[in-house]
Amino acid sequence: MLSRVANNLIWLDRYMERGNGILSLLKVNFYANQDSPELFSWTPIIKNFTTSENDFYTEDAIECIDFMVFNIGNSNSILNIVTKARENARSVQEHISRELWLCINNYYLYLTDKDLPRRLREEDPVQFLEDLRKHHLIYYGTSDVTQERGPSYYFMHVGKFLERVIQISDFTALKLKEIANTSDSLEKSFYWKNLLLSIGGYQLYLKTHKSTFNEEHIIRMVFQDKSFPRSVYYCVNKLNRHINQLIETNELEKNNLEFLLGKLESTIKYTTTESIMEQGLNNYIEGIKEDVRNISANINSVYFSNVN
Amino acid sequence: MNNNHLFSSYDKLPSTWDEMYCDSKKFRAQYEGFIEYLKNTSPEKLTKKEDLSKQLFMSQGVTFTVYNDNEGIEKIFPFDIVPRIITAPEWDKIEKGIKQRLKALNLFIKDIYNEQFIIKDGIIPADLIYSCPNFLREMKGVKVPYDVYVHISGVDLIRNNDGEFYVLEDNLRTPSGVSYMLENREISKRLFPGVLPKSHVRSVSNYPNLLYKKLKELSDLPNPNIVLLTPGIYNSAYYEHTTLARLMGIELVEGTDLVVKNHFVYMKTTNGLKQVDIIYRRVDDDYLDPLEFNAKSVLGVAGIMAAYRKGNVNIVNAPGTGIADDKAIYIYVPDMIKYYLNEEPLLKNIDTYQLGKPDELEYVTKNIRDMVIKKTDGSGGYGMLMGHEASDEEIKDYLDNVKKKPANFIAQPILRLSTAPCYINGQLSPRCIDLRPFALAGKDGIDICPGGLTRVALKKGSLVVNSSQGGGSKDTWVLE
Repeated sequence: MLSRVANNLIWLDRYMERGNGILSLLKVNFYANQDSPELFSWTPIIKNFTTSENDFYTEDAIECIDFMVFNIGNSNSILNIVTKARENARSVQEHISRELWLCINNYYLYLTDKDLPRRLREEDPVQFLEDLRKHHLIYYGTSDVTQERGPSYYFMHVGKFLERVIQISDFTALKLKEIANTSDSLEKSFYWKNLLLSIGGYQLYLKTHKSTFNEEHIIRMVFQDKSFPRSVYYCVNKLNRHINQLIETNELEKNNLEFLLGKLESTIKYTTTESIMEQGLNNYIEGIKEDVRNISANINSVYFSNVN
Repeated sequence: MNNNHLFSSYDKLPSTWDEMYCDSKKFRAQYEGFIEYLKNTSPEKLTKKEDLSKQLFMSQGVTFTVYNDNEGIEKIFPFDIVPRIITAPEWDKIEKGIKQRLKALNLFIKDIYNEQFIIKDGIIPADLIYSCPNFLREMKGVKVPYDVYVHISGVDLIRNNDGEFYVLEDNLRTPSGVSYMLENREISKRLFPGVLPKSHVRSVSNYPNLLYKKLKELSDLPNPNIVLLTPGIYNSAYYEHTTLARLMGIELVEGTDLVVKNHFVYMKTTNGLKQVDIIYRRVDDDYLDPLEFNAKSVLGVAGIMAAYRKGNVNIVNAPGTGIADDKAIYIYVPDMIKYYLNEEPLLKNIDTYQLGKPDELEYVTKNIRDMVIKKTDGSGGYGMLMGHEASDEEIKDYLDNVKKKPANFIAQPILRLSTAPCYINGQLSPRCIDLRPFALAGKDGIDICPGGLTRVALKKGSLVVNSSQGGGSKDTWVLE
């Protein structure tokens, strides 16, 4: 496969995954912000997804959603993300299923419809966010049932799980900072719940542990759960698997990447909650973030160093 | 339901051939079936179909992006829902005429880059060839597979008021529009369910398969690596490049994906370099190889011409074919047909005056109101003077410019392009059209897809069909 194509496939799914994550987060924060605006303000969300040059902050929910969805100056606005995803998809049309291309093209047309910003301002913002998110769910489903299991699919999945694990670790780190800043145990539990909601694990948590918030349980679920598709372990395991499939199909040379992923996977798998607590949750997550950064840089270098 | 209102304000242009009407009342036989359909369909329904067509072009991604202040806006190439219909005998004549013409043009290119008999025999003046910017010295003596230079062409035809088809220009470099031939047909199938089979319309969907076959035949390898080279996403024909690559199942590459090593062309893959055997390029000659042509080009591949000359890669169309579709050379095509094939041209040329010849310049200046003047190396409908609608000042300025280098200009009488019915504001109105059929040449001869791109000048009374200047297109039905 062309290196450029592989790179575009990775980024296609990275962008789609990022969009999905941002939309979920906006919805969760919208509800939380209605309950306790002082705990769940909009500023940290804007900060998390914008560059250091951004100077736009707001505590108005609709204004924030508008900025996060439509603003062209915000490189992580849904509009920019989907535009970039579509450009990536457009240039690899012969590698992805026709249905997948049509799906993303239609999402782009939906987003650029002139009437859409009005809907955000005049109608139910939650419905607005859910309608957008539906396009991501359709995208995942379409990819699942129409894309052959081959190099294109594996590269897309590498992008998807890489982006997901980056988001989860970034977001968890963000919440940990907030938790560390308070001594109120009720407030702490709100933050933990918000973290679970944001990564989509709240329902599973209730099913497993009922309505009692225990830090250890939450940490185990976010980092180590084998069945939860948005746990750090699950993502790293999938990443590892797809990288190995690419090596097996001769699309990727055996290199450092395989080693880095294997190492991270077993670190997560075999670190006990006790030892996490011992080294401090913050240190633990910073370690994971560092590893993921190295893996991400390594994936990029595979495609960019190969110039001649 | 009767929808006769549809035809009530069909103002035929004077002394112009209309594709639908024989005279003011009678329809041509090939349109009768479709007219029946239109009469039985309410205007509301037709307008809905028109909306549907726009929606389909957008949702299928048949668009090009116009960039404005970093913001991309998706545009569609305007489409008129009423098909243009061509009878079997008409098509037969077009097909034979284009084949004859392409055969002669291909022989001409071969001759020009090799022995140059046509110059030695005094048919075409040498200085005309050597002063042509599209003549590539780099192609002299290069041997090309099966002597085919022009593999893919789109000859533009117009129908004059005598009912005959005339050749407007031979597009022998990187003609575009074939994806619209395919896409317009797909749209028609959805707008008019059941009407196509009932009308016995010949299918065009085989084009990508045929193109792939012609490309593959150029190589002796059982499984040659064929790629389509695009200038990239900012090119207005990018949609076409992605479509053709997808429909042929070949890789779409950009200049930066390719590299030349030891006179072989490779593409950069995740698993190292992979040799490329055949390149269907949609990049112009000028940008193909920064080492030999435009040094600033980032769209091409350094060293690709050297690899080509060594026969290590095939480039389709061959570089240098522009010498044969130059507007100054156009005048000599009927002579070429006689010279190389010893045949009379089946398709006529339009009378063309070379302004480099003082008597012709004088004649054109005198009759300027009936003339259109074009630059010999221009394209896309730019840089033209339409004598009948220009102001005195515009004419004066243009002629001053012509006099600086008259050999760079040609003039033609203003043509009466035939008109076809278009669905505009709920009614049928005549609009000027042309026709670009697509021909494929290979080892076993020339094939022409039964159809083509009918371009329409959507502005009332306009003769300019170019998409960059308010033109649109129609589906083109060739009947069995």
